[in-house]
Amino acid sequence: MPNQNGTVYGLTILSPIINDEKASPSHDLQIRNYLATLPTGEESPFALAPGTHLARLVVMDDVIFVGAPAIEEHLQSKYLIFESNCDGDLDTYLTGLAAAAGQHLDAVWSHCVGYPGAANRPAFVAYMKACQIETTFFFAAVNNKSVPETLRALQTQRAVADFIARHQRIEPAQLQAKFAEFVTRLESEPPPKPGSAGSPRAIKTGGRNE
Amino acid sequence: MSRLNETDIQGFVLRGYNLPFARYVFLHFEDAARARALIGRLLPVITTGQHWDAGKPQSTVNIAFTHRGLAALNLPQATLLSFPVEFLQGMKSRAAILGDTGINAPEHWDKLWHEDSVHAWLGINGQSPAALDARCSEIQAMLEQTRGAIQLASQDAAAIMDDGKPTTREHFGYTDGFGNPDYLGVERSTQPGQGKLMPDGTWAPLATGELLLGYADEAGELPVAPVPHILASNGTFMVYRKMHQNVATFRVYLDEHAAQYGGGKEKLAAKFIGRWRDGTPIELSPDKPDQSIVKDSNRNTNFSYGADLEGTRCPIGAHVRRVHPRDAFGFNGRLIDRRRITRRGLPYGPPVPEGQPASDSDERGIVFMALNASLSRQFEFVQQQWIEYGNDAHQGNDKDMLMGNHGGKGKFVVQGDAGAANPPIICANLPNFVELRGGDYFFLPSITALGMIAMGLVDPR
Amino acid sequence: MSNINGKVYAMNAITPMKPWKTWVVRAILFALGHVNLLRQDVVNLSFIEFARWVVVPRRGFPSLGGGQAKEDLKYDYLLFFSNFNGTWNQYIDAFSAVLSMGLNLVWRWSEKFPGSVPVTPFKEYIARVQFDTDYYFTAYPHATANDLKSAHIVQASFDSLVRRSRQCTPEEFKSAYLNFVIQVQAHLGETGQAPIVF
Repeated sequence: MPNQNGTVYGLTILSPIINDEKASPSHDLQIRNYLATLPTGEESPFALAPGTHLARLVVMDDVIFVGAPAIEEHLQSKYLIFESNCDGDLDTYLTGLAAAAGQHLDAVWSHCVGYPGAANRPAFVAYMKACQIETTFFFAAVNNKSVPETLRALQTQRAVADFIARHQRIEPAQLQAKFAEFVTRLESEPPPKPGSAGSPRAIKTGGRNE
Repeated sequence: MSRLNETDIQGFVLRGYNLPFARYVFLHFEDAARARALIGRLLPVITTGQHWDAGKPQSTVNIAFTHRGLAALNLPQATLLSFPVEFLQGMKSRAAILGDTGINAPEHWDKLWHEDSVHAWLGINGQSPAALDARCSEIQAMLEQTRGAIQLASQDAAAIMDDGKPTTREHFGYTDGFGNPDYLGVERSTQPGQGKLMPDGTWAPLATGELLLGYADEAGELPVAPVPHILASNGTFMVYRKMHQNVATFRVYLDEHAAQYGGGKEKLAAKFIGRWRDGTPIELSPDKPDQSIVKDSNRNTNFSYGADLEGTRCPIGAHVRRVHPRDAFGFNGRLIDRRRITRRGLPYGPPVPEGQPASDSDERGIVFMALNASLSRQFEFVQQQWIEYGNDAHQGNDKDMLMGNHGGKGKFVVQGDAGAANPPIICANLPNFVELRGGDYFFLPSITALGMIAMGLVDPR
Repeated sequence: MSNINGKVYAMNAITPMKPWKTWVVRAILFALGHVNLLRQDVVNLSFIEFARWVVVPRRGFPSLGGGQAKEDLKYDYLLFFSNFNGTWNQYIDAFSAVLSMGLNLVWRWSEKFPGSVPVTPFKEYIARVQFDTDYYFTAYPHATANDLKSAHIVQASFDSLVRRSRQCTPEEFKSAYLNFVIQVQAHLGETGQAPIVF
């Protein structure tokens, strides 16, 4: 079934945003403003809740007119797109989000039609599923590793490169002992947090996430 | 495709002259009319791509302009704005994109580049210092008579000599001068391995439009070029970078790490670049240098990495493999056909033979010039993605061993095997072996375009 | 708002399709999903972390009442979401150079698609149909798809070596360690920050 690729799930949700001419700023702008200040690193709701590899939120204002002879048409509502690449099954993922990041979800989705709030878990899950669109084709470069496994592997890779570089001319007995110490140290290190970007840099990419 | 009109293309674009002495002169225009008069005076002595049937001339002259230079010549606004963005901005503004930060940042460049006053580059090559001086005097006289430009500075460069004979060596001891691409229609001594790889394993010339504006490129279209067409056609863009070499640091680093390396010093040096210091490609001869390969033009650039995906012969991050991956990325090399550049240049500063003390603060290095139809798609891409970064080669953030802006960090992995003479080794805590001391982006117009510029006849479309 | 987070770029695109063409696209995407050969090229391009196409039929936009009218559209819509490494230009250049047939297969049914070769009109089309991301999260901003694959290889080799190391002599270990280094030597690239997108 196309939403699933190996152990990764491709979740696509389109939530209609409330049209209210009396709201100022309008609901879609309020969502945008909130998203502009929501952290994207370790403090992100998607880092605090388990299972998200990559996820995005996009306010889609309208469909795009590609030019004549195509017909110009417009959407009645704006939509909040939630595209997530996550571990495990859908219900667990959604309830996990509601549990860990309820107030952020409410701040964003309260501007959408029919949103029941994260506190009412069954209603929340039902609402998300009502807004879900089936992913027609889902590609994943790595489709069989969870987020914790991936972060651990990245940590191991870095530590191993460092160990190899530092122990290049060494007696066999010493090497085995040093390796054993290294393994113990690595196993006792806390797993890296999702969304952590490493050390800051001097130049900006232009992305807000610097 | 139509035949190239070599008399309309500056010779510097079409072939390396192999004249061992050079002076690069940087000019500033103060008055557009006088500057145009100067270009008019220079035009008859600009070396074209015409073949030298009567033998090599004593000296050659070529000219190129920065965007500010074209503006100072009063080219129309619409024309100026039609140049690609990166050329408009100039290399200094692109420093962050190119990784020219830290010790390579513009504030450490030679004074020449501080004020954005470089308008034109004159490349003068000569068979001897006397021939070079004679030509430079002639040009100096033109400058004085027309008052067309101020000479801001000049940079001398010369081939490193062996008993008075020019070599193609550079200051770290590597033999250079291989690997310039073949292009359709450009007549030069071609050899297998320089063009693009075909599905049947043979090499074919690259589309002309990868080097020259106005011709179809590898993407099946005319490259983005300024308007009018007649200004751009038969022209190209040039990158000029003065690269200081820290010879002392290099020698110390090589010696220290060679002591830990089972293959020995020369082999380790070969692993950094992908060629032994005599020029033998290690992909073809992994255990020792082999002059018979170096001297055979059918072999010295004729190799690919398909049988060495693990990097056991030529490390995955070695310099020649980074800048010309050949088939290493799969897809029959199609991902790299639009990332090739033509290199020109010569070393500068006094060479120091092995065994004699060298100092990093001595002025020596290499003047690096690259020619390409698109600065952003070709040079900038290679510099940013393949030299200062390694993701396409599956090497993460690891940089090019010799050219990377390491700042004391980073590493270079030499992949190996279980044999005692080819062990894996990681070279870490990399210093900056090379430092950028300045440069910019230039436009090298055709002879026709030069004439139009000289006569003030450039019209926007 | 940013399309970029660390080393990964979030591209969103929407293109209109005449409803009869949607069925062709569904069939093609089904084939892509089940025929390995077609997928292999995408895998080998190795700079996409996750990507998806989502067909939204004209009556398929979610409607939850609340007094808001249902959509009344003439076209079906094809949404495209990609999470890729590298610059926008690099990404499109690579696809145009290597995957043009596959791209054409999926997008030629969208109105006014110019073809993926040559690359300049293709880039203009994408620029027109692309819309921007408001919020982008990645659990591993400092790693690319290549880094991830390498990391998993290193982890697997490392786990193997750890098991081995508990039961052997120093000499045996030295040889197992050398084998380990050789297994992982092409997979040790540092992770970190991305070059500037240009």
